[in-house]
Amino acid sequence: MGGVDVGGGGGGKRKSLDSEINMIPMIDLLMVTISFLLITAVWTHMARINSDAQVPGPPRPDVEQEKVEPEKQLNVEMRSEDKFVLVWKQGATTVDSIEVPRKDVIQQEGAVQVVRFPDLAAKIETEWKAKGQHSNPTDRKLDQAILHTDNKTEFKYIVGVIDAIYQTHRDVTFGGKTEKAPAFNITFAVN
Amino acid sequence: MPLQSPTRRLMHHVGLQFVAKKVSGGGHRSVNAGLSLTSMIDFLVVTVVFLLMTFSASGETPIAKGLNLPKAENTLDMIDSPVVAVVGSQILVDGTPAGNTRAVEESDRMQRVDELFNILKAKRELWKQTHPNKDFPGVVVLEIDQNIKAVVVKSVFQTAAFAGFPNVSFMVNSIPKTG
Repeated sequence: MGGVDVGGGGGGKRKSLDSEINMIPMIDLLMVTISFLLITAVWTHMARINSDAQVPGPPRPDVEQEKVEPEKQLNVEMRSEDKFVLVWKQGATTVDSIEVPRKDVIQQEGAVQVVRFPDLAAKIETEWKAKGQHSNPTDRKLDQAILHTDNKTEFKYIVGVIDAIYQTHRDVTFGGKTEKAPAFNITFAVN
Repeated sequence: MPLQSPTRRLMHHVGLQFVAKKVSGGGHRSVNAGLSLTSMIDFLVVTVVFLLMTFSASGETPIAKGLNLPKAENTLDMIDSPVVAVVGSQILVDGTPAGNTRAVEESDRMQRVDELFNILKAKRELWKQTHPNKDFPGVVVLEIDQNIKAVVVKSVFQTAAFAGFPNVSFMVNSIPKTG
């Protein structure tokens, strides 16, 4: 039996403030709690990286279509083995084209190879700061990035490039709160 | 030999010397070890606190066997949506077979996977029937091995989009951010 003294003690007819805790049920409770938490513990944290297929909705003949100026989109070409090409396009017009030397940072973690492109991530961030169209925190729309890859590229390299694109963050105000969110929305080029 | 009444020092008559020493505790350390209750409770409480802090109520997402998912830093939390897994050349939707990618791999061209398309379309229709007054979120999670070729990834991506799931996410293992 373990005692807990909470001070005082009181005089006269007042009930004593000292109480005792039975150690055996307490240790049993702790042991059961530990066992439950260990059994239900999740050691691998799954997550997701988002992309958008940008499927256009059906045309509505009853609504008059407004002519909208096409937005600038960042095309990320990863077909070459030694470089990435970043192409800003507005509709069919090429606004700017930048080459980034390809330096794959590959880290072996068990059976999985973690692929990172820190140079590409840094360049995309610089480019977005200079040419991105949706940087206002109240603007919910995101800049669009289109990923061009050949058919033989392995998925881990695609994830590496998507991860590099998502490294660029911006402030977004949502319901009075400002949070960091990715600056780009990513989709794949079909060609 | 005359009979004697037993006394409290019964073991002194045992001939083995070490037994007599053990029984009377003569000179040696006790076999029983003491355990500090305070330290033990401290340890248990710290363990409980650590496990409670790392506890995840959302549970674990089941991963198909034989899959090595890629790892990424800039990730989002998982959401409740249909999961399309590509294991080898087999496609599974929520664990149910939904065609294979052999035709895509052999032709090395992007193409729609019809069986996957039909299953996803049926899922979409079912969701719309069960949630008549809600907008369909169109979210699907692709669970793809790190070594799968891009042509397969793009084909599955495009098939999902055509089936009415334009918001496609890729399942990854989350790693802490560097720098």
